[in-house]
Amino acid sequence: MKERYHLRLPAPESLKDLPISQEDLKRAEDRRDVKRHREERRPIKLFWLLLGPGILVMLGENDGPSMISYATTGATYGVGFFLPFILLTFAMAYVVQEMTVRLGAVTKKGHAELINERFGKFWGWFAMGDLAFGNLLTLVTEFIAIRAGLGFFHVPSALSVFGAFLIIVGAVATQRYWTWERIVLSFAVFNLIFIPVAVLAHPVPTQIVKAFFSWGPIPGGVNASFILLVMSNIGATVTPWMLFFQQSAVVDKGLTPTDISHGRIDTALGALLAAIAAIATVLACVPLFTSHVDASNFQGADFAQALVPHIGSIGASLFALGLFEAGIVAALTISLSSAYAFGEVTGRSASINSPIKENLPFYAFLLAAAGIAALLVLIPHAPLVFITLIVNVIAVLAMPPAIVFLLLLVNDKEIMGEHANRPLGNVFGIGVTIFLILAGLTYGILTIFPHLFPTS
Amino acid sequence: MKNTDATSVSSPHDNHAWVHDVLEPDQLAAAKPQFGLRKLGAGTLLLLWILRIYVLLMILLISYQVWKAFHAKP
Repeated sequence: MKERYHLRLPAPESLKDLPISQEDLKRAEDRRDVKRHREERRPIKLFWLLLGPGILVMLGENDGPSMISYATTGATYGVGFFLPFILLTFAMAYVVQEMTVRLGAVTKKGHAELINERFGKFWGWFAMGDLAFGNLLTLVTEFIAIRAGLGFFHVPSALSVFGAFLIIVGAVATQRYWTWERIVLSFAVFNLIFIPVAVLAHPVPTQIVKAFFSWGPIPGGVNASFILLVMSNIGATVTPWMLFFQQSAVVDKGLTPTDISHGRIDTALGALLAAIAAIATVLACVPLFTSHVDASNFQGADFAQALVPHIGSIGASLFALGLFEAGIVAALTISLSSAYAFGEVTGRSASINSPIKENLPFYAFLLAAAGIAALLVLIPHAPLVFITLIVNVIAVLAMPPAIVFLLLLVNDKEIMGEHANRPLGNVFGIGVTIFLILAGLTYGILTIFPHLFPTS
Repeated sequence: MKNTDATSVSSPHDNHAWVHDVLEPDQLAAAKPQFGLRKLGAGTLLLLWILRIYVLLMILLISYQVWKAFHAKP
């Protein structure tokens, strides 16, 4: 029998002598509320206190490039294969993210911290490097979305980018995880703005139902652009930053094994809401498909402009606001995921509950990540269009190693004990990993042999 | 161990019994256990290296795509 981690904790009597940090105090205040509502058996209030990381990670992943990807899907393929496919990708995202809830709640350590401790600094820094590179590119695309969304309302680029950066600064300046989480949740709710936009596009309900049952049609059949859009839709749902963010957020929020069931509901609810918003975005752009508008080179605000004749200026304005929301929520969550990983790998406190004056490098890294991305967007002639197109693909390619680390950790009985993966969990986890590797390899083959599939 | 040298850390003599009451022991910044290195089998190490090479190859492919995009005829 292997030694369980809790046996290495200090003896209970010596725990009382340990110093209490500001971070501990803030987390304890949140947990005191949870304890009280659990004892008073108030399930709704308890769920309100415990929800957050799951909804944020899922709606955060409905980010700028994701919404552009869904809009392109609707404009290129209409109602068909991609509606059930998007639902499938969010089901995959749930399978993966649920494991991070258990890991965080049981070990009380973030994803980067666990990789570092269990596999060594070599693999820890590799994982951190993949994440930091992917996150920087993704953050650039979030600021592109923010700029495009507000550009529809004639807000100057510099003002929209600087304003978004100030929102990020304001949220972390609270130095309180709970407050930060509620600020971001209040922005994230507006991801559902795409639902009224879809309604304004007058989708045909029977077509939608038929698409979910038949997984079709696929206008033009399976060709190179179809496969790239499949990749882009996977990359819009399952990405490495999500693993790092949710596990660290679970730890920062102070969830424990008792809260795992609530964490699962939170994650499932997030996946459902995000899937609904994603499908709504596809449906909102179907009028462009039926009127044969070529949207293959469209960027953010182009979709809103092109939709004006079909859904009116109010619908188009809502679409543009949705793009801004997608960008700002993702910028808030992704910049924090970078800082969490930095804090964990460098052995600092990785908590937004820690005071700025005591944990300056953590906050500096967070703001530097967001600041550099914001500045890149403002550089004239920067290849922003290409970055937007490639960012989801990079996410798919970087995901298999990240999931393998996740599976190794969640099967590690020495740290997970009774919460380690069961056989069914591994079947799903390994299935998602193989699926992602095959998707990545297909992309590679398509790049080397572009004529293997028909081009149109 | 984290934060034990932080200026805002409370002394153990402060009345923080309620903190110990609501937080699990390993949630305290000063009491987080170190799990230690896990012994990786040859198969696991091979898998990790294959995936690392896979990512590097894919980065090369993306770089090729970037090069192609910049040299594409208008």
